Amino acid sequence: MVLARHTFAGVAAAGLLAAVVAAGSGQTVPAGSIRGRVEIRLSTSGITARPDIAGLGMPDPRDVPDRRTSVVYLEAVPRGAFQAPPPGRAALDQRNETFVPHVLAVTVGTTVEFPNSDRVFHNVFSLSKARRFDLGRYPRGDSRAVRFDRPGMVRVFCEIHSQMSAFVLVFAHRFFDTTDQEGRYEIEGVPPGTYTLSVWNEGEVRATRTVELSQGGDGIAESFVVE
Amino acid sequence: MSFRAIAWLAALSAMLLHLVGPEPAEAAGPLVLFGGRLRVGGEVSGTIAPEDDGYFNFIGYDDYGDNVLRRFRAGLSAELRLGRHAAVLGEVRSDNLRAPVVYALFLRVRPWAEKVLDLQAGIVPPVFGAFARRGYASDNPLPGLPLAYQYLTTLRVSAVPASAEELVSKRGGGWQVAYSVGAPYPGPGVPQMNAEVWDTGVQMRIGRRPISLAVSLTQGTLSYPLVDDNNDGKQLAGRLAWSPGPQLTLGVSAARGEFLAGRLTDSLPAEAGSGFDQTAFGADLEYARGYWLVRAETLWSRWTLPALDETRIETPQDSLGAFLEARYKLQPGLYVAGRAGHLSFSDLASVSGTETWDADVTRLEVGGGYSLHRQVLLKVAWQYNWRDGGRVRNEGLVAAQVVLWF
Repeated sequence: MVLARHTFAGVAAAGLLAAVVAAGSGQTVPAGSIRGRVEIRLSTSGITARPDIAGLGMPDPRDVPDRRTSVVYLEAVPRGAFQAPPPGRAALDQRNETFVPHVLAVTVGTTVEFPNSDRVFHNVFSLSKARRFDLGRYPRGDSRAVRFDRPGMVRVFCEIHSQMSAFVLVFAHRFFDTTDQEGRYEIEGVPPGTYTLSVWNEGEVRATRTVELSQGGDGIAESFVVE
Repeated sequence: MSFRAIAWLAALSAMLLHLVGPEPAEAAGPLVLFGGRLRVGGEVSGTIAPEDDGYFNFIGYDDYGDNVLRRFRAGLSAELRLGRHAAVLGEVRSDNLRAPVVYALFLRVRPWAEKVLDLQAGIVPPVFGAFARRGYASDNPLPGLPLAYQYLTTLRVSAVPASAEELVSKRGGGWQVAYSVGAPYPGPGVPQMNAEVWDTGVQMRIGRRPISLAVSLTQGTLSYPLVDDNNDGKQLAGRLAWSPGPQLTLGVSAARGEFLAGRLTDSLPAEAGSGFDQTAFGADLEYARGYWLVRAETLWSRWTLPALDETRIETPQDSLGAFLEARYKLQPGLYVAGRAGHLSFSDLASVSGTETWDADVTRLEVGGGYSLHRQVLLKVAWQYNWRDGGRVRNEGLVAAQVVLWF
């Protein structure tokens, strides 16, 4: 069920403010996990190629990204969660004219590699407010890297292939997870407390829910159906 | 302000408001209908520039030509998949809010999924050269077009000069020409190759990287593409492309087709000759790497006109067009670009001496573009034209263009 249709950037900013106000002492407390499953029943076609009117023939078959991939995250988290996470590295491949994975969730400070695994050139770029970049054109086997220093949603495109798009979700904390092929997720190490849990899919927050982790418990299960 | 101007400003504003939102989530692709079988895309562009007193930027249709730098264009394109092996594609365009015209409409078939052999039939994209297949405003780094694909020479398909004197008297006036033989009314000349109208016929592409070959058989010619044949002659055209690596593509092209309208040639005396063809050869190059994109093309064309009164036009009319274009990205969403082009014409002897049958022309265009959004591009350019004849010989102008696509 779709409870709210917010943009990720707006919700993330609101979550940051709330977290600062609700800042706790930051001491270590027993942590649990929030796990569950997200079932996407929405029909999201996403971005497809423009009609190839000027082409002289059929384009070669391309991979189709799995648009059911979702990101589940906490909107407000304890102050300790904002301590700078260790710089991480991740990769967003360009393979068969598709970005793989289609959705990448990282923490602030992460450097993402964009290798080109195709025979053709790609030109990865983003004009998102959270991170503007343009990597130019480079051949198979080469890679370029981008560091993401601000939280928010970054839409990634290829200038040459209009159907290629991906999302990089940059969080200021570590309490998020990307769903697997079965829609399962698990956010580990969550301190006891009351939180807003959100489900993001294809550019929008599709569902939010208030959850409570009690002291001494080892976690809760929360599943979503997004229609 | 006219109703037409208000209407297109309103349409442009509506699309801008729709697209330039804060991180619009799903406004980034074509409309997808019927479970993905039908995709509908579109492009809207508005270009403004001062009056072009020298008519350097006019393009000819059947009617009085338009100025490509003072134009509002809205186009819708669609692709309907008919299974794995076939699709119907089409595009309609409206310029300056006139009635929409069908720009493309064809059937695309790939009989064997594993083999790169494609067939297309209908109003099809041209196989010759490269620019005509990337003439969309979103693919063109500058508002203007290359001379070879736009500049109107003094030749027409429905009227011809009676003598060499009459032809050279029109030098530099291709935007509106009248001749004493054939259609009695004035009309625009033809460019070397018309990128604004696509021809009708069948085409085939074979090959796999790094080499591919495309050939077509169509109703019109490079200069004058047609839906209905006007002379019972067909044009055969082809392009051989070689991509030794992803950064480089080289192409060579050739075309030959009957140029003059049958209504005109039927009225000519037998001694005027026959075989009034347009023959063309071309070469194109594209190099891209990092933040650079460089394209170059050259196009040689020969038209054969009837030999009528004294001084008879015994030699064919040749022209050579060439341009070099480069784009460099300065930062995300911002680029600079430039294009230099020249169009020259062969000599023709007349009683007044020997001179080129049309006035040579050179164009320099420099500018840049800025993407407000992935689908909203603003371009600004300064263009200067030099011409060796005509009423206006030099002209500089500044043009701005906004392009929106989905």
